[in-house]
Amino acid sequence: MVLKKLSVLTLSVAAIGATAIPAFAQDFKGVTVDVLTRPGYVIAGPLAERGKDFEEMTGAKIVVTEVPFAEIFPKIQADWSTGTNSIDVGVFAAGWGVELDAAGLLEDLDPYIAADPKIDLDDIAPYFREFGQKVGGKTKLLMVDGDFQMVYYRTDVLSNNGLTPPKTWEDYLDVASKIHGQDMNGDGEADYGSCIFKKRNAQSYFAIQTFAAPIVQTQGTAQGFHFDNATMKPIVNNEGWKKAFELYKATGEFGPPEELNMDIGDTRALFKAGRCGLIVEWGDPGTLQLDDDATAIRGKMFAISAVGSKEVLDRATGELVPVSAASAPYAVDGINYAPFAAFGGWAGAVNKKADAKTKAAAYAFLSYMNQPAQSGIDVTIGATGYNPYRVSQLASTDLWVKAGMPQALADNYLGAINGAISNLNMASDMKIPGAQKYTSVVLDTELARYLAGEITVDEALANIEEGWEEVTEDFGRDEQIAAQGLALGN
Amino acid sequence: MSSYTKSRQPANISAGVTQRNRLGEWVDRHSGTFFIAPCATLILIFAIFPTVYSIFFAVSRVRFTGDGLKFRYVGLRNFKKLFFGSSEVQFLGRTDPVSIFGYAIFIIIAVAVLVWLWRSGKYTTWVGMIGRTISAAMAIFLSWLLCASLLSGNAIGTLYTTLFYVIIGCTIQFVIGTGLAFLCSQPIYGKNFFRVVFFIPLMITPLGVGYAMRMLADVTKGPFEPLLAFLGLSDWIWSTDAWSARFVMMVGDSWQWIPFIFICMLAALENIPGDHVEAAQVDGASSPQIFREIIWPQVLPVAATVLLIRMIEAFKIVDLPNIMTGGGPGTATESMTLQSMFVWRANDMGSSAAIAYTLLILTVVVCASFFNYVVLGQVKRAGA
Amino acid sequence: MQQIFESPAIGKMSPMAKILAYTLLGVWSFFVLFPIYWVVITSFKDATAVNQGPFYIPFIDFQPTLEAWRVQFTEDPYCTVSAIGRQLWLLVYNSAVFVVSPVVGLNPMEPQICKVYLAFTNSFVISIFSTGLCVLVGSMAAYALARMNYAPRFGNIMVFVLLLIGVIVATTYLGVPWWASSSAGLAIFFFLLRALRGYFKMSLRNNDILFWIISQRILPPIVVVIPIYVMFQAVGMLDTHLAIILLYSVANMPIVVWLMYDFFRNLPIELEESAQLDGATRLGIFWEIVLPLTRPGLAATTLLTLVLCWNEYLFAVFLATVKVQTMPIMVSAKNTGEKGILWWEMSAIISVMIIPVIIMAILLTRFISKGVLLGAVKG
Repeated sequence: MVLKKLSVLTLSVAAIGATAIPAFAQDFKGVTVDVLTRPGYVIAGPLAERGKDFEEMTGAKIVVTEVPFAEIFPKIQADWSTGTNSIDVGVFAAGWGVELDAAGLLEDLDPYIAADPKIDLDDIAPYFREFGQKVGGKTKLLMVDGDFQMVYYRTDVLSNNGLTPPKTWEDYLDVASKIHGQDMNGDGEADYGSCIFKKRNAQSYFAIQTFAAPIVQTQGTAQGFHFDNATMKPIVNNEGWKKAFELYKATGEFGPPEELNMDIGDTRALFKAGRCGLIVEWGDPGTLQLDDDATAIRGKMFAISAVGSKEVLDRATGELVPVSAASAPYAVDGINYAPFAAFGGWAGAVNKKADAKTKAAAYAFLSYMNQPAQSGIDVTIGATGYNPYRVSQLASTDLWVKAGMPQALADNYLGAINGAISNLNMASDMKIPGAQKYTSVVLDTELARYLAGEITVDEALANIEEGWEEVTEDFGRDEQIAAQGLALGN
Repeated sequence: MSSYTKSRQPANISAGVTQRNRLGEWVDRHSGTFFIAPCATLILIFAIFPTVYSIFFAVSRVRFTGDGLKFRYVGLRNFKKLFFGSSEVQFLGRTDPVSIFGYAIFIIIAVAVLVWLWRSGKYTTWVGMIGRTISAAMAIFLSWLLCASLLSGNAIGTLYTTLFYVIIGCTIQFVIGTGLAFLCSQPIYGKNFFRVVFFIPLMITPLGVGYAMRMLADVTKGPFEPLLAFLGLSDWIWSTDAWSARFVMMVGDSWQWIPFIFICMLAALENIPGDHVEAAQVDGASSPQIFREIIWPQVLPVAATVLLIRMIEAFKIVDLPNIMTGGGPGTATESMTLQSMFVWRANDMGSSAAIAYTLLILTVVVCASFFNYVVLGQVKRAGA
Repeated sequence: MQQIFESPAIGKMSPMAKILAYTLLGVWSFFVLFPIYWVVITSFKDATAVNQGPFYIPFIDFQPTLEAWRVQFTEDPYCTVSAIGRQLWLLVYNSAVFVVSPVVGLNPMEPQICKVYLAFTNSFVISIFSTGLCVLVGSMAAYALARMNYAPRFGNIMVFVLLLIGVIVATTYLGVPWWASSSAGLAIFFFLLRALRGYFKMSLRNNDILFWIISQRILPPIVVVIPIYVMFQAVGMLDTHLAIILLYSVANMPIVVWLMYDFFRNLPIELEESAQLDGATRLGIFWEIVLPLTRPGLAATTLLTLVLCWNEYLFAVFLATVKVQTMPIMVSAKNTGEKGILWWEMSAIISVMIIPVIIMAILLTRFISKGVLLGAVKG
């Protein structure tokens, strides 16, 4: 299945590629670019395949090394800051680049962009171009993928049960409880109301933030929902996050029994087999449902750009208050939405200490991946894990319908993503030094222990607060305050 | 380069030897140093020095900056966090409330240890007493922890999870391994076949063992699914319950390490002079009697040594928990090495070194105690 | 009840006891072999055969396919058949470069891009070299401890250790190139040795040193890994083969010393004494006489060390980034895929990883059955 798509991809790429970069012909012969990223066909696969085409065009060899997800950032940081320099390009979360840049490890890509006629920078959606790729005003990363977390629902299951798509997380639980246990793919086995990847050291800590954002963030993107920006004190030990934690755990009642051990690969296998009524995911299900092994759900998984909350956190008192014009100015119909740009999107950064020719080749490769011609095809194939981030990919449904998406689904899918991007209360993922430590270590560990019943929610939140304070002190509170200001665009 | 094919003076005649032979002599005289030096140097550089250097990590917070590492001295803060702070519940487990039962057992054990310490004061040297005090202190600490956490119905932490793998795991492995060795030492056919087959799991990459066990333990797709369905367990997810996850982990670990015990005990059993056993059989002793009176005492020294070696290795377990459960539901199956590795992955090298050091102290005290009081005792008694 | 288990004659077992013994042994053999069997046949299954529930016997329950093997070894665009040939040549060439590079500055061939071949080659090269180094150094030390009355004076040792620390600190912190600090340290050591001769009469005995070496095994690797990481980084040796080879040698040296010590102890001393009377040097005796005599023990130790190096995981995780990924690292990196863990593909890789060690284990048992390793345990 994947093979067929890939051979189409390769052929089309070869056709386009032959005309794409004549200027680079064999410029980089003898250069090897080492890329480090996550395992699996996701993200790494297209890099390797297009790398081969890139080699034919320019002579540069692209070597893609995969390490477990939790090791990507530590390995890159250790490699670049110790001067080992085995890695030339790191493809990781856009938000993690800030910490590397603070240490002066990222190559400034603006000069390369200025000399690059093919990259079409304006086509990249403003949020990704300004917040994702730029650090401190300079472009240090090139996106290959744009990420939002959204909720998807099975249109057929919900309409069979006379339910409307959930607008708040309480609705989500309600819908999940009503459809849990029904047979959703016709194989006679009971299926699940909600499937979320709750495994530790995986992607669970993104999902919890999707739950928490609409409760805690009300005043727009610049407010954030992790810290009090003036003092960098964590605003995590309060009723708002507590409610998010409890809601998150409650979804487990209507989920697969092994949910605590499922990471994104496992939940994807599950919903592609048609066994989930509601899921929290990135943009991939939109395209994954077109795969050959997803016939059970083809065209049936629609997206909701955000699920909100009727209660929001009053930061002064630490209590929950109902939505009102004062407490949640961006609320729509009494519900506060805050789509969470989880992960920020996979982006590539170049090692500043690599030699000039390697850096040039590395940039050329990233640009190649980023260009509309290649990117436009990659984002339509679910298996690649690349989600749309360019205006040309999001403006019209033609590209998607051509890739095989039913018109109705394309309208809904793009509508959801566009709705999320243009939402003024969109919640940003952390983009300060230590971002990875705050979320994927401290938050993730305490969340996992709470879900497993080892500690109570109050203890979890207290531990997170203590852990975050420790990290903030490690990096220096004043530096973090400045960094947070830059990250949120204040 | 065989030097005794040339005609040479014997080594101890020094008068009139040439310069070249002098050098050769000098080398020969100091050959002990030259033979041992590479080994000792390598061990000093790569084992002793890092252990000492690690202390610096354990008492600092370490950060990666643009040009390498920056240390910030924080005293015992990493250890405090481990034993009293936010990592306490993960490391030690929950220790309150302590039940009456817990208190009672703790008092019994503590008194027993103190009595033993007092008694041994009468016949041990100064140095021995220090050693015993350290062992006693560790014993009291561990028993308090056990009583406060497990015996009071609370959850245990990575410290006791590691000890669980070590103590319970080694015991089970020892019993099964010795049993197998005993069976194999009987006059049966196919001994060599069994020897080869039973030895293989020990050599398989632990990572491979982990994945294999994961596949086997899969409740929906694994080979035991019909059996589990028959037993009505088809909804049982072993990986979401702390104790069943630890149990499955131990099964995997035992699968890999029972061969070690098996091989060593088999060799020991086969070395027992057959005539002792035959003489006893002629005298009309029953098999259990023979085993208890003749066989067991003779293998006891080897058994103690084997158990010690196995325990030393068991403290280091890391591949299996990482692969089979990624640390378990929450942090239930994390061993201390795995906890240290996860913390290192988070670029928190100070805490990682603190956990590693605690493991080192635990391992050394427990293994040295076991060695001194059990192994040496057995070896002395056997007069070996 | 006891009657049916009693043996009818000396050296024989009663039928019931025999049945019981064979049953138990058979059951255990099943436990041992079944997981391996399962892994191997899973590698010949396709997606439906794995996901639809357990199928046990190829050709009867399910149709075996070579899909998983093909995907793992050829789907990566760089994993072509000709890459196998290149890989073998790369192995030979890079090993040669590694040996001669201190003298002749050659560049190693660029690593194979195909991940599986790269990981396999790395594991192979690292295991062989570290085993060679470990056995060589370890058996020399064991021989010295077994035969020579080596009594180094405490004072000399302290001086040596202090200078060693000085050299390491100088190289790591002050950035002095390693050859400069080492030569300086060595020179100072010999000078001090001569100057301080006569002081510090107290000395260590053989057994102390032996105990010290063997007790290194108690050291959990996690304690030393972080400082070693920093040390290698200071000399720029991270992500190189040499670093991992050195580290693996040290990790396995206690076992080698322990085993070889026993073999050397059990050799009749007359041969060596007569050779010494003939005027042979120590090294000559060691190389020409002792080692060939302990060939079975040496082979057993080598095999055991090979397996331990092949299986090692923790050090590789910390020290290897891109170029030196070994097989266990590569396998663990395949932990998540888009479709959940693809068990059939994982099984193919795991089979490749464990088949060499199974072969080595079978070879090793031939030595064990000769009672070769027993002496070590008793001692």
